[in-house]
Amino acid sequence: MQDDRLFINVKPGKTFLDRLTGKTKVRTFFSLIFLLIATWDIRLIVPLFVLFIIALISIRPNWKKVWAVLGFIILVNIFNLLLMWLVEPDYGLNVVGGSTVLWRFNSFYMISAETMWYFLVRFTKFMATFLLSLVFIQSITPSEMAAGLYSVKVPYKACTIVSIAFRYIPDIARDYQNIRISMQARGLELDPRKASLMTRLKQNVTILAPLIITSFDRVGNIANAMDLRGFGKKKIRTYYSEHEDTKGDRIMLPVYTIFFLLFVAVVVCNIVTHPAYQVWCPWITQP
Amino acid sequence: MSEPIIVFEDFSFRYKSQTSETLHHIDLVINRGEKILILGPSGSGKSTIGNCINGLIPFSYEGEITGSCTVAGIRTTEANIFTLSKHVGTVQQDSDAQFIGLSVGEDIAFSLENEAAPRPVMLEKVDTAARTVGMAAFLGEVPYDLSGGQKQKVALAGVLHNDEEILLFDEPLAALDPAMGMTSVDLIDRIHREHDKTVIIIEHRLEDVLYRHVDRIILISEGTIALDTTPDELLRQDILKEQGIREPLYISALKNAGVTFGPEDHLSDLETLDISRYRDRLVEHFKANEPTLSEVRVSDETILAVEDVSFRYGAEDVLKNISFQIRKGERICVIGKNGAGKSTLAKLLCGIIKPRTGTIAFRGENCAKYSIRDLGRMIGYVMQNPNQMLVKDMIRDEVRLAMELNGYSEEEMEKNAETVLKMCDLYEMRNWPVGVLSYGQKKRVTIASILSLRPEILIVDEPTAGQDYRHYTEIMRFLENLNREYGIAILFITHDMHLAIEYTDRAMVFTDGELIADDYVFRVLSNPDIIERASLKQTSLVSLAAQAGLDPEHFIHAFIEEERRHRDDAG
Repeated sequence: MQDDRLFINVKPGKTFLDRLTGKTKVRTFFSLIFLLIATWDIRLIVPLFVLFIIALISIRPNWKKVWAVLGFIILVNIFNLLLMWLVEPDYGLNVVGGSTVLWRFNSFYMISAETMWYFLVRFTKFMATFLLSLVFIQSITPSEMAAGLYSVKVPYKACTIVSIAFRYIPDIARDYQNIRISMQARGLELDPRKASLMTRLKQNVTILAPLIITSFDRVGNIANAMDLRGFGKKKIRTYYSEHEDTKGDRIMLPVYTIFFLLFVAVVVCNIVTHPAYQVWCPWITQP
Repeated sequence: MSEPIIVFEDFSFRYKSQTSETLHHIDLVINRGEKILILGPSGSGKSTIGNCINGLIPFSYEGEITGSCTVAGIRTTEANIFTLSKHVGTVQQDSDAQFIGLSVGEDIAFSLENEAAPRPVMLEKVDTAARTVGMAAFLGEVPYDLSGGQKQKVALAGVLHNDEEILLFDEPLAALDPAMGMTSVDLIDRIHREHDKTVIIIEHRLEDVLYRHVDRIILISEGTIALDTTPDELLRQDILKEQGIREPLYISALKNAGVTFGPEDHLSDLETLDISRYRDRLVEHFKANEPTLSEVRVSDETILAVEDVSFRYGAEDVLKNISFQIRKGERICVIGKNGAGKSTLAKLLCGIIKPRTGTIAFRGENCAKYSIRDLGRMIGYVMQNPNQMLVKDMIRDEVRLAMELNGYSEEEMEKNAETVLKMCDLYEMRNWPVGVLSYGQKKRVTIASILSLRPEILIVDEPTAGQDYRHYTEIMRFLENLNREYGIAILFITHDMHLAIEYTDRAMVFTDGELIADDYVFRVLSNPDIIERASLKQTSLVSLAAQAGLDPEHFIHAFIEEERRHRDDAG
């Protein structure tokens, strides 16, 4: 019942990706996300995009929720591209290096093949980034994330803040519910049909005061509990949730290493060749 | 044998934020292997003593220390909390907040993680500790699915693997229902015996802790040690009530009968207490005070009628075919273990959720047509934690808030606020900021703010949770007065059997969503079948009556009536 709260898994799942260590998950995620950010080459982006779709299917997510979020992201992306086009219809000229007009509305607004190409690359890239993050979030538990971040040299106090936050968010949400109910019983009107948006916003702020006070009480208790069990005693830390490497981790080690090297290669290549146009396009030759 | 492990010598402590000392000149020696109860009302400084032992003072709470406190040969002022935590394992009161891990295994491992123990060692130690407390089958569970008792077991397991010699329990019973409390006291006792630990329990619920043997009780009063003696000797004296500690019920019953105890009586354990010598006195006293049912006042004016109501969350029935009525001015306790459906019932009555089948009618009108806000004017709901209810800075504004939200006129608000503030004995304080109030006073403010809408029924959720006997009595007498003077029916949601016995007439018992009993309190609590099905705790009065050969139901009734007379005489 409580396994999938706020899109976060608390209990580890059973698929190949789920079974990897936090270290492998975090490292794979970081090398891939760096690579995606660095590249504008669709020859690289599309295979990754396909790979992420396979990965998403492999972790057997709750499709109902995935589609809801996916739909929202697609809409936002398309809206974003539309705005870009409205501001600068000839965007492709600067980043792709050409302006082949396919359709002209007036002296300013037109559709060029290069702009459309850029939008296609951009859309694929952003969707790939989103899919990667989705797979990552859906296959990692907060404890594994803490352990994984620690494995890439993030100080463990910062890592612990991450897992503690996930630990107590549901509790705070429950407090909020309770407070809201008691305020409603005292006459607070939160029904959108009966109170205006402003009133409701103001009244939600009223609920925040007791929420903050109860949360502070909790923070004090948590801090004491952590001190009493020796948190912060040593410079290093181990993680209970970080199991020994499995076969999967041994397979993934060369995989994420290659991705990371690829990222380095892309960056170095960019610096050395310094292409005039950022985005590779099949019918444009770079000068 | 008697090797001192904790030594306080002329120890005083003042919190940085306070002007006067919380502990004054404490001299105390605790020996290795002892099981000690530190007893005292809230605000007496008993938790402060605990914090001095585990190092939170001076590590987390700054203040001024004079004298010395030595734990396992270490002066606490010279050590840091990490060194001390190797010797002292602390189980705190709030079992939820101290659950830091995202699973049982992880939480038990927390201190090992901080030690940077290698994972194989960690797994083995976690497994051993989980077995000791009986949580080995739950290692993968998340905190949200555990009961308070289970979380407490996890907290205990979390401090077992470093071979701490001292285990410190800060109010372990505060958040547990009666049956769980007994399990917890039993577990602490088993660990004390089998693992050769020094155990210190900080509590004010004397009778519940005495369910298992305790070597010594240290009674704290206003920052000093009022008494340091054996449980038997403590019970023989009359010091408890004046110190604001609830005396075990069987002791009160015997004292009421005029029994005097000798030094040979083992008062702390009813099972080994030889009551044959008092039986005649007890029976004679009972015969002289035998009550009749007519003493219970019941009005025949029905306010609320619940008929065949069911409710489910998902596929799970949380309430099944519940029917009952509430009449004007009744005092009812709703009891049952956590998850039995008590809070769902409260939510249904307040209209926060709607019944799946059946009807709830307020003065003959079906409640389905009312909004939460409408119902709030008829049925008031007081939450357990007053901090979750207080939103304004000033008492007066807090009390006026509900009326403002309900669109009362200015004169009405002034008039009602004045009446309610006077009812709740807050009128003098009406311009005080809410922040400076004690927990009990805050509770009164929340009740006042609810009363301003003039509800006819008040639902009070665990009114005395975490309160010692003095504050408990203060809150309960206040509610009793509201009930008596203004005819407000009160529904107490509680698992405190003392509260049920002393302050209510009728008990509704819930188990797994069913209403298994709805009758006079004394009848319900003397019925062993109901007690067992609802995971309640048999009151010691039942055993006492059985040993004396008296009918438990009548005996409890007589006891209740007599206690109430005492209370009325006193106030």
